[in-house]
Amino acid sequence: METAEARLARAREALAGVQRRVGTTRERWEAPALPLAPMLDQVMPQGLRRGQVVSVVGSTSLMLALAAAASEEGSWTAAVGMPSLGVVAAARRGLDLARLALMPHPGAQAATVAGACVDGMDVVLLGPRLALSDADRRRLASRARERGSVILAEGPWTGAHVALTAVASRWHGLGAGDGRLRGRELTVRVEERRGGLARLVTLPIEGASVGVAPVRRGAEAPSMSLRALGGAA
Amino acid sequence: MSVVTVVRRAVLWVPDWPVVAAMTEAGLGADAPAAVLHGRGLVAVSAAARSAGVRRGSTRRLAQRACPELVILPHDEGRDSRRFEAVAAAAEQVVSGVEITRPGLLAIPADGAARFHGSEEALAEALVGAVAEQAGVECAVGAADGLLAAVLAARSSELVPAGASRDYLAPAPIDSLALAAMERVQRTEVDRLASVLTRLGIMTLGDLAALPFADVLARFGPVGVWAHRLASGEDLAPPVLRRSEEDIAVEHVFEDPAERIEQLTHAAAVAAASLDQALLDAGVRCGRVRITARTEKGEELERVWRTDVGTRAGAFARHMTDRVRWQLEGWLSGTAGGGEKGGEAPAPSGLVSLGLVAEDVVPLGAEQAYLWGGTSGADSRAHRALERVQGLLGLEGVLAVAEQGGRSPRDRVHAAPWGQEASPARAVAHPWPGRIPDPPPATVPPVARPALVLDAGGSPVTISRRLAVSAPPTWVRLEAEASDERARAANRHPSSGHVGHVEGPVWDRPRPVESWAGPWPVSERWWSEDASRRAYVQVALRDGEDEVTAVLLAYGGGAWALEAVYD
Repeated sequence: METAEARLARAREALAGVQRRVGTTRERWEAPALPLAPMLDQVMPQGLRRGQVVSVVGSTSLMLALAAAASEEGSWTAAVGMPSLGVVAAARRGLDLARLALMPHPGAQAATVAGACVDGMDVVLLGPRLALSDADRRRLASRARERGSVILAEGPWTGAHVALTAVASRWHGLGAGDGRLRGRELTVRVEERRGGLARLVTLPIEGASVGVAPVRRGAEAPSMSLRALGGAA
Repeated sequence: MSVVTVVRRAVLWVPDWPVVAAMTEAGLGADAPAAVLHGRGLVAVSAAARSAGVRRGSTRRLAQRACPELVILPHDEGRDSRRFEAVAAAAEQVVSGVEITRPGLLAIPADGAARFHGSEEALAEALVGAVAEQAGVECAVGAADGLLAAVLAARSSELVPAGASRDYLAPAPIDSLALAAMERVQRTEVDRLASVLTRLGIMTLGDLAALPFADVLARFGPVGVWAHRLASGEDLAPPVLRRSEEDIAVEHVFEDPAERIEQLTHAAAVAAASLDQALLDAGVRCGRVRITARTEKGEELERVWRTDVGTRAGAFARHMTDRVRWQLEGWLSGTAGGGEKGGEAPAPSGLVSLGLVAEDVVPLGAEQAYLWGGTSGADSRAHRALERVQGLLGLEGVLAVAEQGGRSPRDRVHAAPWGQEASPARAVAHPWPGRIPDPPPATVPPVARPALVLDAGGSPVTISRRLAVSAPPTWVRLEAEASDERARAANRHPSSGHVGHVEGPVWDRPRPVESWAGPWPVSERWWSEDASRRAYVQVALRDGEDEVTAVLLAYGGGAWALEAVYD
């Protein structure tokens, strides 16, 4: 009687054989990743892969944090349709302002402008009120996959590889008329297109404790059992 | 510090240069008593003032007592070097290369020039004559081996024979070392060294030169070595010559003053194409282009644009055409500020001439490259993308941002069209007391949005001129999202206090204040038109169980405004 492990090993071998024969491997997806701040390791354990679309809801700071390490390492960043982006905050997070271009009001040309940016820049931040149809969005996503750039979209994006939603945020440092904002803990719901699991991650996004490893909270989504069953389905 | 072979130099010295430059600019005659004041003391005194008893270093009050009709002029290093260009240009008529060691002092390698003019006396005569004739300034010329000896020789109009510098320097007092110090920082260091040496009983340069070199290094460090070398009549570095070259420039004069954009489009294309051709003829490319224009009213407008497009196949001409056109449109419509000072935008008026000057010129094929390999592909890809977008959206469509000094989050950002050279108006390094403390907010609306801050009873919170808060803030209402139908409906409902006509902002639901800090007063630029006097408050608003939003609110002129969101 064969053990379950041996059968699993045989099945994997067979799959690998098919992949070799057909020429498609899962490594195609393992595109090179852009550098990411260590603070976000729990949020995106696989790193900020080139060609991905990441949607961020509810926190501009989180978007900036995602783009910061790549910009510091020499990537170009464009912010399209974000007229109220806090530039000082971006600089403090580590974005290199010399390689940051703002297109605050693309208007009716949003799709063309975003397309040109996806072609030329490594990280493209898209604002929430851009005039983009669903077809435009799909086109942008495939263009990003082709050119190896990363789209960070504010607001929901159908078909995003990773969807990040800020679900809770706590500030400390303020009193009743005294103190000042010092630190902030942000809880992010992470939904990945592959894997289908939603996790909650709490990270100290602001303040002195930024270097400390994030606390992972035990609020697993119901699809956990599925994940154990299906492996890396 | 390596030993440099001693160069025989002629030095041209203009006595009291700062005051001469200031008097020329102020339009005073050479015989007027005048002095330049910097800080608390006079830094330069004209000959007439000196004969009246005014001394360098004395205070304004002492000087005015000695000479009541003394004209006191402000200190300006920029003016000193700008005016000295004329003297350098005059000297360049006589010799081929000069080194401006500091405004007021020129060094010239004497060997070749003296051979050309026959003798050093002839060279000195030619220099004095040319400067007096073309720049209208009296000067003195001296020559010797080594920098310090040459400077001292110029002050007494002497020609020290070759090889005699050490003996010439020996009786000079130790303070004269300061004459060879070119920057103010260096000068204070040298003054300190001279005072220590004097107290040690070393009164002349000869005494210093007689000391063992190694001991001077051990006791006084690099400054001591510098002084010892100079005192021994040696040189520290060969003269750095400047060469004057013609600018690559084109000018286009409009037959009629251009007031419409259509007239400019053609002119921009023509000027850009002829600059491209001029660059190609000279076999160079440029890193920056200075666009200048003159208006009917005689105003000079000027802007510098960065460019890194080569002159291949007319790409440069096309690239520059767009930028020139944008710049001219900006000037015509009065939206773009003119001049380096970045002050007020000039009133729109017709343009009579347009000029393009190539700057940062390098020979073709000698572009600056990265340490490893050529220019990075990603960089040029990004530049092309940005140029394409700028072509689509126009000049202001793509912005480059930089941090600048300021107190509120909005003031701390400096934005300029991509590719245009503009320096931030306020230095970041200044202290900016009262600046909103870090962390900086991630969302800063381009203009402040209205907000309501209410106390527990629902009446507006106010802050008095003495920063007394009328009641602790308890509720905050921000503007509702444009798409928020529920808020709009609630706003229209008669219970909101409106009957029929609805005006003013649509308020979102009131949100309870969890904690707050402030008020932090900021009173800025009270002397000018854009004065502002506000009190800032940081407020944490509770949105749900765990959900807290922090915002920065400002109170000024009886109303609250949302300045930034920490989201």
